[in-house]
Amino acid sequence: MRHKAPLLVGIVAIPLAQLADVLVTILVGGAIEKVRLSDNQEWLTRTLVLMAAAAVSHAFFRFWQRWLVVVVSRRFEVELKQELFDRLTRLDLSFHAKSRSGDLVSRLTADVEALRMFLGPGMMYTLGAVVIVPISLGWLFFLNPLMSMSMLLPMLAVGVIMQRLTPRLHVHSTAVQESLADINHRAQEDFGGVRIVQGYQRQESQAQRFARSSEQNRDHQISLGRARGLTHAGIHGSFDLTFAVILILGGLAAIDRSLPVGELFQFVDLTIKVFWPLIAVGWIAGMYPRAVASAKRVQTLLDTRSALTETDSDVGLDPQKTPSFEFDSVSYTYPDADSPTLQEISFELPAGQSLGIVGPTGAGKTTLLLLMGRLVDPTNGVIKCNAIPVRDLPLAHVRGALGYVPQDSFLFSVPYGDNIRFGTDEDINPEQLAVLIEQVAMTGEVARFPKGTDTLVGERGVTLSGGQRQRTCIARALARKPRILVLDDCLSAVDTHTEKTLLQSLREAGQGRGVVIAAHRLSTVAGCNEILVLDDQGAMADKGTHKELVSRPGWYQQTWDRQQKRASLEDNTGAGA
Amino acid sequence: MSWEAEEEVAGKAWDGRLFRRLLRYAGPHRWLFIKSFMVLASLFALDLVGPWIWQASLDGPVQDALSSPEGTDTAPFIHDLLMLVAVYVGILLLQTWLRYFEVATLILTGQSVIHDLRRHIYSHISSLDLAWFDRRPTGALVTRVSSDVENLAELFTAGVVTLAFDMIRVVVVLALLFTIHAPLALVVTLMTPILILISLMFRGGARRAHRTVRAELARLNGYLAEVLQGIAVVQLFGREAHVGARFGEHLARYFAANKRTILLFALFFPIMSLAVYLIQGATLRQGVISIAGDELTIGAFLRFWLYLTLVVQPIRNLGERYNVLQSAFASAERVFEVLDTTSNLPTPSKPSPLGPEGIAPKVQFQNVSFGYLKDHPVLEKVDFEILPGQTVALVGATGAGKSTIVNLLLRFYDPSEGQVQVGERELTQVDLSDWRGRIGLVLQDDFLFAGTVRENILMDRSGIDEATLLLALKASGADRVVQNLAGGLDAEVAERGATFSTGERQLLAIARALAGQPDLVILDEATASVDSETEARIEQATGLLLQGRSALVVAHRLSTIQRADVILVLDGGRIIERGTHDELLAAKGAYARLHALQFELEA
Repeated sequence: MRHKAPLLVGIVAIPLAQLADVLVTILVGGAIEKVRLSDNQEWLTRTLVLMAAAAVSHAFFRFWQRWLVVVVSRRFEVELKQELFDRLTRLDLSFHAKSRSGDLVSRLTADVEALRMFLGPGMMYTLGAVVIVPISLGWLFFLNPLMSMSMLLPMLAVGVIMQRLTPRLHVHSTAVQESLADINHRAQEDFGGVRIVQGYQRQESQAQRFARSSEQNRDHQISLGRARGLTHAGIHGSFDLTFAVILILGGLAAIDRSLPVGELFQFVDLTIKVFWPLIAVGWIAGMYPRAVASAKRVQTLLDTRSALTETDSDVGLDPQKTPSFEFDSVSYTYPDADSPTLQEISFELPAGQSLGIVGPTGAGKTTLLLLMGRLVDPTNGVIKCNAIPVRDLPLAHVRGALGYVPQDSFLFSVPYGDNIRFGTDEDINPEQLAVLIEQVAMTGEVARFPKGTDTLVGERGVTLSGGQRQRTCIARALARKPRILVLDDCLSAVDTHTEKTLLQSLREAGQGRGVVIAAHRLSTVAGCNEILVLDDQGAMADKGTHKELVSRPGWYQQTWDRQQKRASLEDNTGAGA
Repeated sequence: MSWEAEEEVAGKAWDGRLFRRLLRYAGPHRWLFIKSFMVLASLFALDLVGPWIWQASLDGPVQDALSSPEGTDTAPFIHDLLMLVAVYVGILLLQTWLRYFEVATLILTGQSVIHDLRRHIYSHISSLDLAWFDRRPTGALVTRVSSDVENLAELFTAGVVTLAFDMIRVVVVLALLFTIHAPLALVVTLMTPILILISLMFRGGARRAHRTVRAELARLNGYLAEVLQGIAVVQLFGREAHVGARFGEHLARYFAANKRTILLFALFFPIMSLAVYLIQGATLRQGVISIAGDELTIGAFLRFWLYLTLVVQPIRNLGERYNVLQSAFASAERVFEVLDTTSNLPTPSKPSPLGPEGIAPKVQFQNVSFGYLKDHPVLEKVDFEILPGQTVALVGATGAGKSTIVNLLLRFYDPSEGQVQVGERELTQVDLSDWRGRIGLVLQDDFLFAGTVRENILMDRSGIDEATLLLALKASGADRVVQNLAGGLDAEVAERGATFSTGERQLLAIARALAGQPDLVILDEATASVDSETEARIEQATGLLLQGRSALVVAHRLSTIQRADVILVLDGGRIIERGTHDELLAAKGAYARLHALQFELEA
């Protein structure tokens, strides 16, 4: 365990603070006894000075205990979160595909928090109780054994009640949290999709659904309130019972003259002081199962290794040269999926050549591109880069060669320029940035952003249109000066004019580089050296150059004819190619 | 950043006007409130009796026994003591019973109010016009029905009810202290302001510190969610270390913010106990002197000591309660700001009927001008009509105003000049739900809701039978998507439809529009991500399905609209050309140029 020193000091401060607190009670009790027995009050000043000293040291130690222990627990939280984050970003895509992102987020939030609460405040309060309870009880035992023993019973009841009721509290509070999340989710959807909700006049029915969620939340809250009421009553009831025991036994002993009144006072005051630490222990005990469950989940995640094994051979790729790629009967099935997404795909992509991938919606085009970047390993078959299986190459070399433009145009909520800079480790100066923005025909639009390239992207800044997002993603890929440009259907949301500009600059950027384009429109891939046609089962339907593919009957020829017919419909304007 | 600032406005700790408005929501639950008050009042009274019994025991039987000569029969003293103990136990049982209700009833009360309020706010928000939604991020709206409403509940429970009792408690107990021993009570009364001061000073710091922690945590978690969403991009770009470092920066800021909070709390608790010790020390000193002077009994001293705890606890909580009140009023302010907004689209008092469904009404735009912001017109004097059964297409560059025409047609907004007419009636005079109910809408950013695929297509519309549903699926080409789903139509849609590709989501959205057998179909860039084979199939099938119905089609790509009856070419918010495909090509204007450009790309 790191942070030993502050933690140890903090732990030592806990009993010292408690001792000082007990001392105050003993001093006050002593004073009550003395005032009854002695005639002068010369001792009073001494008692008050001692009390002041005890009070100051209590405050002093109490500060250090909280400061040191809780800060260490927060540091632990931060370090654990970083470790988990780094682990998560390095796990392969098949892991992410089968995990719900909400679950992964809760590993880093709810689970880490449960652990921190248990280790930080939990430990602080437990250690506090572990010290003050035996000391107080020991002292009281010394004063009057019988009475101190009989006090134990109601006190133990506090612990038992807390421990019994905490799981119930936990169940209800989890239900409350979930129903709250449900409310949030519904509101998010209905307000976010307000055009559809209002466009279909669904306000009434959505309001009814929302009311049901709200009702559920209310019911869970009320159940939680009942459980909390029981806990509250139980704890205070046992506490009051302890006082009743002190009153009857202490009163009898005082009448009997076997217990001085001053000591009776100590029983009362120390019981008050023991009360909260005891409740805290019960609370921690209730937290324990949850902390253990969280620790297990966190540990599982930390132990998860990427399914992509890193090679230890020293073969690499030349970062200056464009590599070739080869797929050798590659199949891929997503985890938990019934049928394969890709089946027996084979092709070669010689260095510097271009490859088009076409096929109906859902044919597996995106998956094929992800396989190239080795985000997942094929279920069957081998992918080779420069004739070396990619498994035997350093991951960073393979991915380093690619500039990828995703279909979903994912961008971060950071300044616009930083989204483009994200592509590379190299520094991009404002001039280079401007060139990249020019290449994707965004110069005019970026200039109109409130703060230019420093404008935040997302809800708190500018909301980019689909086409703007796609073009930004292309600029990000170009920033890498990639040796192979990978374009995943990235021009669907731009208008005709912009598309022309873009294709032009992509052609320029593609000089000497490899290009892989997945697309819906065949015209986008017609210029490629080779075109791969996938069918809706993810199998290879055909392969060849555009010329070859249009000349033989099949999906490609049909689709081409249809698209041609539309493009050249009764075209007599003389504005041909 | 402006709305963030709006979120964090520190409200007043008390606002009578807001409180009176909130009381209206409490009205229907007044019996619960009365019950809560009664429980708290009885508990407080019983709290005061306990220490009194201690005094009675010490000054009664115990003192009597100690002052009687040794060897006296103690039986009468014991009898007195047992009587007192019996009362004590009786009170104890009553208190324990009441304590259950102290918590349970208070929560029941608060939650009952919340539920009403939350439904009310939700319905109100969803009835507001789109212009209002456009100005606010969705997240801020969600807050209105979640954390703002939660805060308001605190106002009713932890806030007003408890705070009122805390104040009563302090005043009553201080007054009782004076009945025990005036000089001693004076000492305590003079010192309570110190406690109050510390508590209130801490309040300000704690609120600011907590706010920073919350903001940092939100950023941290937001970044985490974003990275997980874009994990493929992060890995393909080899940026794991980069995002790790950024996450580390967020963590460092979060940690620093936490340290400030911890420091505040680490200081608050010891300082508060020091102040309490100070009061106790002064009490002890004065008490010892008074006991020695026979002005105070030991029993009275003990009662005094126990009452002190009753004064200190509410003061210790004061700062926290103050913060609760403040954030509750800030939430109330925001919530009422929403409730006070009315839709900018007035509902007609006597809506005119549109005629029977199944017959498409004629749509007319007459000299329509519109801008989302003042002085920034998006549409200028737009004039066109969609005759029953016609297909009208809108083309033009991004920002030409195509989607705005769709927005006006749906009456998401009203034009600033000119009129939109349907069936020869002004749209503002038409029953909106009747009108929108006849439209099948497919938007550029398709949207799927949590629920099954079937629910997403039916959208709670009654009167869509299974045959119509299947027909719509087939016509849209979504049947193929559904076939591949485990569970078919009853498969659950994942978060924001993430399991579907963009193209598949568009097909489902088209199926949704067709299932309602609309009189008018609006396709706003509906097939941008669909392959051309599917697109052609959709076109064919919808052609059949839409016979006799009107359609408004917005597209970047000219190929999708060549069969339209009228094509409108928009530029800078004006219609610059109109006609059929052939007419426009022959005119050799903007459309012809656009077509040439596209042809060049395609061929």
